[in-house]
Amino acid sequence: MSEPRAHPDPAFALLELYEAALPQVYGYLLPRCGNRTQAEELTSETFLAAVKAAREGGPVSTPWLIGIARHKLVDHWRRQEREQRGLRLLYEDPLNDPWDREINALQAQAVLAELAAHHRSALTLRYLDGLPVAEVAKHLDRTIHATEALLTRARTAFKRIHNGGHR
Amino acid sequence: MTDPFKALRLPPTPMNPDPAFAAQLRDQLEQAVLEPEQKTMTTHAETKLSTLTPYLAVTDARAAITFYVEALGAAQQGQPIIMDDGKVGHAELTFGDATIMLAEEFPELGHTAPTTSYPSYRLEVPDVDTTITRAVARGAELLRPATNTDHGKTGTILDPFGHRWLLAEATPAPKTPAPAPSHGELGYHTFQVPDAEAAKTFYGALLGWHFTPGRVENGWQIEGTGGMAGLWGGQGQTGWKLMYAVQDLNAALRTVTNQGGTAGKAETQPYGLSAECTDNQGIEFWLWQP
Repeated sequence: MSEPRAHPDPAFALLELYEAALPQVYGYLLPRCGNRTQAEELTSETFLAAVKAAREGGPVSTPWLIGIARHKLVDHWRRQEREQRGLRLLYEDPLNDPWDREINALQAQAVLAELAAHHRSALTLRYLDGLPVAEVAKHLDRTIHATEALLTRARTAFKRIHNGGHR
Repeated sequence: MTDPFKALRLPPTPMNPDPAFAAQLRDQLEQAVLEPEQKTMTTHAETKLSTLTPYLAVTDARAAITFYVEALGAAQQGQPIIMDDGKVGHAELTFGDATIMLAEEFPELGHTAPTTSYPSYRLEVPDVDTTITRAVARGAELLRPATNTDHGKTGTILDPFGHRWLLAEATPAPKTPAPAPSHGELGYHTFQVPDAEAAKTFYGALLGWHFTPGRVENGWQIEGTGGMAGLWGGQGQTGWKLMYAVQDLNAALRTVTNQGGTAGKAETQPYGLSAECTDNQGIEFWLWQP
C-alpha cells in the first residue's frame, strides 16, 4: 500500500527562484531589446509563461528561464518583423568582402537597434547569445541553409549601417 | 582571421529592474501560481451585483448581520472580511435579488454609522406584520405600524444600527403577456392551504416567495415559483390544485363525465372560461379555455 502523497505544485519553485532569477532574466532582455518598457513586458511574459511550463514539467532554473526569455524575444521580433515587412524596402546586398574592422560593442548596440527585426533577431541569437547556427535555425523556425543565408544578409546590413549607410 | 562579429558576444549580465516593476511582477506571479487554490479558498462572496448597491456603515457589523438575517430575511453571502484589529471590513448580504454591502465604522474614511438622521431603504417582504414583529423583538424601533395603503400594506422600522426600513408587501411583477398555454398544458397552479398567513410566513422564509393580494378573499398571487401560481387559504382540498388548458371547454367537460369524473359548470372569468372538476379518483382540478 502506498500512502497518498501531496504533490507540491512545481510552480512554487518559481516563487522561490524569483528574487535570484529576475535580474538575470531582465539583464538578458534589456540590452537585447534596448528599451526598458519592452524589456519589462518581455520579463513579465517570461515569468508568467514559466508558471504553465513549470507545471508541465519544465526544469525550473535560471538558464531555463533565460531560454523562455529568448523565445519571448524571438516572438517579439517576429511580431515586429510582420509589422515592418510592409514598410521595408526589400533591398538586400549580395555578400561582399571579408570585413575585419573592430566592432565597438556600444556602437554595435546602436546599429542593431536600427536593423530590421529579422536581421536583428538572427544576429542577436548567433552573436550576442553565441548560439550555434543550428540552434539559431531552430529558434527562427528556418532551415540551417536559410539561416546561414539570413545571417549573411544580416551581417551585410549591419556593416552597411555601421559604415554610415542606410538600411 | 577571427570573425569580427564575435565581439558582439554579450554574456549574461544581471541587471536589477525598477523595484516597483519587480514587486508588481512578483504579485502577478504569486497570483498565477496560487490561482487554482484561490478558487476554493475565496472568502469574498461572488455576489452578482446590480446597478445600484447600498453600502451601509454600522457600529456593530456582527450584530447587524444577525439582525438583517433573522429579522429581515437577508441571506449572508460568503464570510465577512475581518481586519487586523478585529473590525468587520466588508460583508455582503442579499435580500431577494438585491445586494447590500456593509462595514463597521472607519471614521478616517468618512464611513460612519448614521446617528442623527437615518437613511431609508424600501424592502419587500413576504409578510409585513411578521417582519415588524420579529424586528421589534430584536431591538428595532417601530416608526410606523403596518397599514394598508394604495400601494399595499407597509410599515416602517428603525433598526438598532441607525437604518430605516420601509417594509412593504411585494408589488406584483409587471404583466408580461405570456403566450396562452396549449391544450393539455398547465395553465395555473393554486396552492390551497388551511391558513394563508402561516403558509406565507413558512414559504416566504423557506423559498423566498413573495405574495401580492389576489382577486379572491384569502387569495394571493405568488411571485417566485417560476410559473403562474397562487395561494388560497381556507380551502377544502389542501395541496396544489392545477388548472389545465383545453381547446374547447364544453367538449372537455363532456369527456370528464364520460370518463367517470365530475364536471362543474363553465364560468366566465377575467382570464377566460373555466370550470372546476374532479377526476375519477376524486382529485380536484380546473379546466380553462383561454
